Amino acid sequence: MSNFARSKGNLNALGPVLFGVAFLAPLIAQSFEAASLPVPLGLDPITFGLALGLSLGVIASLRGRWI
Amino acid sequence: MSAAPAAPAETNGDESIVVRSDRELKREEAEIARKYLGRVPWEMVGWGLGNFVLWLSIWPLTFTGVLPLWAAFALATFSITICYLPSHEAQHSIIAAEGSPLRWLNELVGHVSTIPLLLPYRIAWITHKQHHANANDPELDPDHENRGENWWQAAWNGMQSRQFGAGEGYANALGRSEDPNIGKALREGTILSLTHYAILTALAWSGFAIEAALIWWLPRHIAMTYIQLFLSWAPHHPMKEKGRYRDTRAWKSPVGTILSMGMEYHIVHHLFPRIPLFQTGPAYHEIRGLLDERGCPNDRPD
Repeated sequence: MSNFARSKGNLNALGPVLFGVAFLAPLIAQSFEAASLPVPLGLDPITFGLALGLSLGVIASLRGRWI
Repeated sequence: MSAAPAAPAETNGDESIVVRSDRELKREEAEIARKYLGRVPWEMVGWGLGNFVLWLSIWPLTFTGVLPLWAAFALATFSITICYLPSHEAQHSIIAAEGSPLRWLNELVGHVSTIPLLLPYRIAWITHKQHHANANDPELDPDHENRGENWWQAAWNGMQSRQFGAGEGYANALGRSEDPNIGKALREGTILSLTHYAILTALAWSGFAIEAALIWWLPRHIAMTYIQLFLSWAPHHPMKEKGRYRDTRAWKSPVGTILSMGMEYHIVHHLFPRIPLFQTGPAYHEIRGLLDERGCPNDRPD
C-alpha cells in the first residue's frame, strides 16, 4: 500500500498539470477553432490553449481540486 | 446490525392486533425473498454487454460522420449513466454465484460494463461491500460522501469527493481494506485510469479533443453525479440512521422508477442483496406490510 500511496500522491500533484497540458490545451484550442472565436492576444489557438491549460492545471494542483 | 424492536409475540394493548416477534417477521421476510431469488437476470446481462457495445459504437459512428456530435454526447451520457447497474448485479453474484457454470458470465458483465465509468469491478465490489456493512456510518461508509440536505448539496458533495486531492470515501475504503484482492483491484484501477487519460490525450492531439470530451470525459462526470444522486443519496437520505432496517428506505421518486433506476425499492436490496434489480419492486410490494410493522423508513405515499 505504501508504494501505491506514494504513487497516488505524486499523481495528485502532477496529474492536474499533465491533464491541463495534455488534454485541456488541445481542447481549448480546438474549441476556439470550432466556434470561430478570435483567440485572445492574437495568439495561435494551441499557444493560447497551452497557456490556459497549464495555468488551470497549476492552479488546480496548488488548490488540491479543480472546483 | 441492530434490528427493529424485537419482542416475543404479544398484544399491543388492542387484543385484536398481534405484534409479532423479530424472529417471526424475519422468517416471513425470508419466505417472501426466496420467491425472488435464484433467477438468472438475463436482462441485466444483455443490458451490461449491449450497453458497452453501444458506447463503443458511438466512437466510429461519430468519427465517420454518421452520428452528429450532439447526438453522440447525449447517447454517451445515457450509456455511461446506465452502465453501473449490471456491474452491481455482478458484484452481488446475482447473475451467477461462485462455483456455478455461468460464473464466467457474471465476472464478464462485472468487468466490462463499468469500463466507460472508469470504475474497475474489483474496486466497485470492495467498496460496495463496505457500504453494505457500514451504511450511513460517517467514517466507514464510502458512500457517505454523497450526503446532503437536498439534491444539489448532495451533487456538489459528490463532485467534491471525486476531486483528485479528496481523501475520503472510496480512497479511505480502499486504504483500510483487507480484501485479498485489494492489490489486484488497485492495479486494475491504475491501469484503467492511465489508459483513459492516454486515450484522451492521443485523441486530443490528433484533432479530436472535442469528440473525446463529449463522448467520454464530460458524460462520465455527468453520469457519476447522476449515479451518486440516485444510487447513494436518494435511497439513504438523510443518511443518519444505521442498522439493517434503518439505513435505507422506500421512497417515491419525483422522476419515476425508470429515471431513478429502480432505487425506490432500495430497502429490499439492502435486506436481500441477491434479489435482482427488476424483482425489487414486486418483492417490496409483497414485503411492505412486514417492513411497516417494523417501522422501517417509508417515504412512499401509496
